[in-house]
Amino acid sequence: MKKGFRQSMAWLHTWSGLVVGWVLFAVFVTGTASYYRAEISRWMQPELRREATVTPDALAQAADLAVAHLQANAAGARMWFVTLPTAERPLVELFWRTRPGTPPGHVLLDPRTGGPAELRATKGGDFFYRFHFELHLPPLWGRWIVGICAMIMLVALVSGVITHRRIFSDFFTLRRDKAAQRGWLDAHNVSGVLALPFHLMITYTGVVTLALMYMPWGVTAAYHGDQQAYFAETGQITQGRPPAGQPGTLAPVGPMVREAMARIPEPLERLTIINPRDANATVVAVFEEPHGLSHEHPQVAFAGTSGTVVEVLSGGLRPAAKTFTTMVGLHEAHFAGPALRVLFFLCGLMGCAMVGSGLVLWCVARLPKAGAPAGLGWRLVHGLNVGAIAGLPAGIAAYLLANRLLPLDLAGRAEREVWVFFGTWIVVAVAGSLPAPRRAWRGATALVAALFVAVVVADLATAQATWDDPAWFLGFDAALLALAAGFAVISHKVDRFAAPRRARAAAGGQAGEPQMGPA
Amino acid sequence: MTLLVSAGLSFLGLSALCLSLSRHHQAVWSAPPDRRRALALRAAGWVLVALSLAAAIGLDGGTFGPVHWLGSLIAAGLCLIVALSYRPRAVVWMAPAAAVLAAVAALGSMA
Amino acid sequence: MALSPTLPGRAAVAGRVVLAAGGGYGIAALSTALLSLTLPMPRAEAVTTATLASFAIMIAIVVVAFAARSLARAALVIGGLAVVLGLALWLVAGAGPIGAAP
Repeated sequence: MKKGFRQSMAWLHTWSGLVVGWVLFAVFVTGTASYYRAEISRWMQPELRREATVTPDALAQAADLAVAHLQANAAGARMWFVTLPTAERPLVELFWRTRPGTPPGHVLLDPRTGGPAELRATKGGDFFYRFHFELHLPPLWGRWIVGICAMIMLVALVSGVITHRRIFSDFFTLRRDKAAQRGWLDAHNVSGVLALPFHLMITYTGVVTLALMYMPWGVTAAYHGDQQAYFAETGQITQGRPPAGQPGTLAPVGPMVREAMARIPEPLERLTIINPRDANATVVAVFEEPHGLSHEHPQVAFAGTSGTVVEVLSGGLRPAAKTFTTMVGLHEAHFAGPALRVLFFLCGLMGCAMVGSGLVLWCVARLPKAGAPAGLGWRLVHGLNVGAIAGLPAGIAAYLLANRLLPLDLAGRAEREVWVFFGTWIVVAVAGSLPAPRRAWRGATALVAALFVAVVVADLATAQATWDDPAWFLGFDAALLALAAGFAVISHKVDRFAAPRRARAAAGGQAGEPQMGPA
Repeated sequence: MTLLVSAGLSFLGLSALCLSLSRHHQAVWSAPPDRRRALALRAAGWVLVALSLAAAIGLDGGTFGPVHWLGSLIAAGLCLIVALSYRPRAVVWMAPAAAVLAAVAALGSMA
Repeated sequence: MALSPTLPGRAAVAGRVVLAAGGGYGIAALSTALLSLTLPMPRAEAVTTATLASFAIMIAIVVVAFAARSLARAALVIGGLAVVLGLALWLVAGAGPIGAAP
């Protein structure tokens, strides 16, 4: 490493990128899908009927219904979470936490009947959303692994920028007609450099969303580690109200819902009820974010037993807190309308392309010479590449396919869908590491394309009768077909690119040194 | 609508910047640019990119403007790069088309 | 750029990785705690500012760890910085128990 600053950064870029590349690819793909989390959830529950509007009366009634259900079924819980119906999703979703370590309770209610909603059981788009920061591991493990990978990604981004000194002159170049390595290098540069502001933003703000978990030492030093006190003092949540230790009776929440809606103009999103059976119970009404970049939910807190307002939070954050909530808001992009959301999605795809092309580049730059056997390390990286880059999309397609094909009344249906996701991913990864590299890539990407087509066919065959808005579902299916077409094109290119490569590589010798290539 | 204004201006700006580089100038007009032309293209490029930022901020405000600008700049860059690598000469008609698009979108968003 | 695959070469790389991870996180943590207590703004704002900056500080330390001419020099720079920050934190927090309101 005595070769100067730039070389050491090139080395750092190559290896830091490689060791976390597979996890990052999965995080980028599922995170990008999460921009359309609500749409994926809607597609996966085609029985859901939307409504024109949800009146304040209907909201108050739904809240009372939710609390009645929780009183009957979750009386011992410390916290109740009630997500209220919206026109897009006219359902009441209940979560409750009894004690740390036990999984939370969960149920979806139909606000008109108060009974369980009659929808197929699925995790929907929320599965991708949670996977992108927890990897379907126990939350603490998943979040630390993703956080460490994100920090290493920041290192890879910074060292990549330092290494790639000719950012400007190579910026517009995507050479398709030179050696394979040059083409992959260009693809990596273009997807990385062009969307660099997005990559830096999404990675840094991603770490920031869980900042206090990764870096709790400021709160330790200034607040004795009391994160609730810190958040309340920044103005992001309402002040905590410790339990009195004496039993109390919760006042009807319907009037509280009306009172809260009279004070805040935004749509009401959910209720949090803390210590519901205590004399000091608290009901917090949480509203949607006002139009703006910042992730900042207005809130109204009530004393639970009397129903009087104890605190109203609405705006007025100080600069650092505002910076924090703006970073979280930029990461989540809730503010983005349809057009801007497409751009965020495109940037996310470019992130996937950057990580994927970087991983492939590592292999292409180290292709074993003709006749020489590939080393163990090369085969391992290649196998993981196929497994990640083709296996994950195959798993996603299979997850959607399972949603349409599994029997509707199957026990544990939502979990079975997840099994299908991981099962397909693992099968493709293992099968993809067996054949020769080119055949593996061609076969795996063709399989992904076929699976996405199968999803659309299964949707048309099994769910068409339940669609409430055919144009919307056809639009979603068209997007899936576009994905299928993309993978089919890749498969075709892999097939065709083989022969002329060497000849062209010899002819195109004047291209100069690769800037970022691990030599 | 306002996204199209900054996307069109960004496309023009990025096209000028990329044509100020010999390799791309040569791909479109089969000769490298002379020094004065390269400098003029480069200056025009930066001015147009700055103009697209100004347009985004002017139309969408200081909060959303920069976000919209970056998004449309990235999308415009992607279009340009794909065009350059498959049909470099297409830039000759794509740039005026982008200018028309930006102008129409600007009129539309002001109306 | 494959580094010398010899044993000392690999040990040096491993040393840098350990230094970058441990030193980077350690310095980021120390600076977060110190800035949280010393920045001239309300307590909540100081903690937020320090926490937001900590990840950039960590990246900078990682770059230093890998860019330094030798492992020893990197260890010296990062270790020295950690000692200075640790002393400052001890002075600031030492007046009262950590967590006392400023």
